[in-house]
Amino acid sequence: MEQRLALKEYGAHLWTRDCAKAIRIKVVELLDTLSAGDVLVLDVSGVEVFDFSFANELFGKTVLSLATEYPGRFVVAEGLNEYTKENLVKALESMNITMIERRGRKPNLLGKTNLLDEATFAAIVATKEAVTANALREKLNLNLNAMNERLTKLTSMGLVRRERSVSTAGREQFEYRVLS
Amino acid sequence: MNKIDSITFDELLRTCNPFDQGASQFDLSEAEFISPAGLVQVTAACHSLAKTGRQPTVKIGNGDVRGYLSRSGFFSALDGVAQIDPPLPRVLQLMSDYQRGRNPLLIEVTKINSGALLPDLLTQIVQVLRRRMKYKKNDAFDVAIAISELCQNTFDHNSGTCGFLAMQAYGKGANRFIEVAVADFGDGLLKTLGRNPKHSGLGNDVDAIRLAIQPGVSEHDDATRGTGLHHLVEITYRHSGSVQIRSGAGKVRFRMDKKIGHTFNVPRMPGVQVALTRKAKEPEVA
Repeated sequence: MEQRLALKEYGAHLWTRDCAKAIRIKVVELLDTLSAGDVLVLDVSGVEVFDFSFANELFGKTVLSLATEYPGRFVVAEGLNEYTKENLVKALESMNITMIERRGRKPNLLGKTNLLDEATFAAIVATKEAVTANALREKLNLNLNAMNERLTKLTSMGLVRRERSVSTAGREQFEYRVLS
Repeated sequence: MNKIDSITFDELLRTCNPFDQGASQFDLSEAEFISPAGLVQVTAACHSLAKTGRQPTVKIGNGDVRGYLSRSGFFSALDGVAQIDPPLPRVLQLMSDYQRGRNPLLIEVTKINSGALLPDLLTQIVQVLRRRMKYKKNDAFDVAIAISELCQNTFDHNSGTCGFLAMQAYGKGANRFIEVAVADFGDGLLKTLGRNPKHSGLGNDVDAIRLAIQPGVSEHDDATRGTGLHHLVEITYRHSGSVQIRSGAGKVRFRMDKKIGHTFNVPRMPGVQVALTRKAKEPEVA
């Protein structure tokens, strides 16, 4: 399931932490309706500007709550223009966090990222389905420990979802996916 | 002293020294020019003194400056807080109220104690920057973001006090520039940051200012806090402007050509006072 919150309903200029706090109440309501694997889209189209306090309170707090309070759910930013994207990236970087942006159908990472995280995320996106650490390891030419470390990190950041599955040999295993 | 701005305010404070057992009197009688920083810093100083039970006096001269102080909302901001010497004719006060909001190059001294007023104020600032200073939309938004962060700091980190904002555009054509100033009389950066055990070892106000502009430094141990002053300084560099941050007995001025910042020891005053200046932009290409 995918839920969508259009931020332009709150105005084209979104100033202050208090404004974000009011919107966060709606975000929490929507997240509470979602199950693991579901997606909440924060639609920024039509918004011309927000300040850093707003970004920190809305995007930052939401992203930071994902792994602990809403494990397996995804929060995605969409509809960012060049300016709002630049400022959201700066806000996320200053908080040392990362979130998913979806442009068209393609998800990518925004904020504090590095090449390894981006490559791992892109590799999972490219499979278009759930994928094991072992399969990813082969694709990225890494050893299994390094692969697991990267996947654990991305999962703890709420960027990748980990699911239990059973291999063809009947063994329990974990698979990873980005959005459904 | 014929000019009261972000620099000479400290000389003014040194002459009376009201926060170190000196007289609660600010002598502006010889001033021929008072910048937004001067306006809000004197205003915040008077409010701070009044909060401790003292009644400050502001001596003013006659003529143009008196009229400007009236138009700029200075007297309204001091109403019931400071004694104006000589007393203000009632007609001047009424005129000040009537003129409020009518000058497109000026934002009068405005009290900030919550976020409620900010959206309208920031919209006004964006309009001045776009129409009068020829800023591109996103550049105007950048400045408004910086001001928004400053204003929010005045009530986010203090209780029982408030902040004041003023802005003025000066000059013509390529020489046009704006000054925006925000001042409060709250706890100041040293005390505020000291509430976070991580920063309790801070030695002085200048160290507190320098630490406060680092990302993630706040009184709160919260990753979503402590980015406002960092972004303020970043935006200042991007627009080749300058910003002066004053708190307690320290002051640091950051300029494009001196990113490390010039440090000054200044007379003690409660709170945080910030002044930003930005030049006009080249006209936007249609």
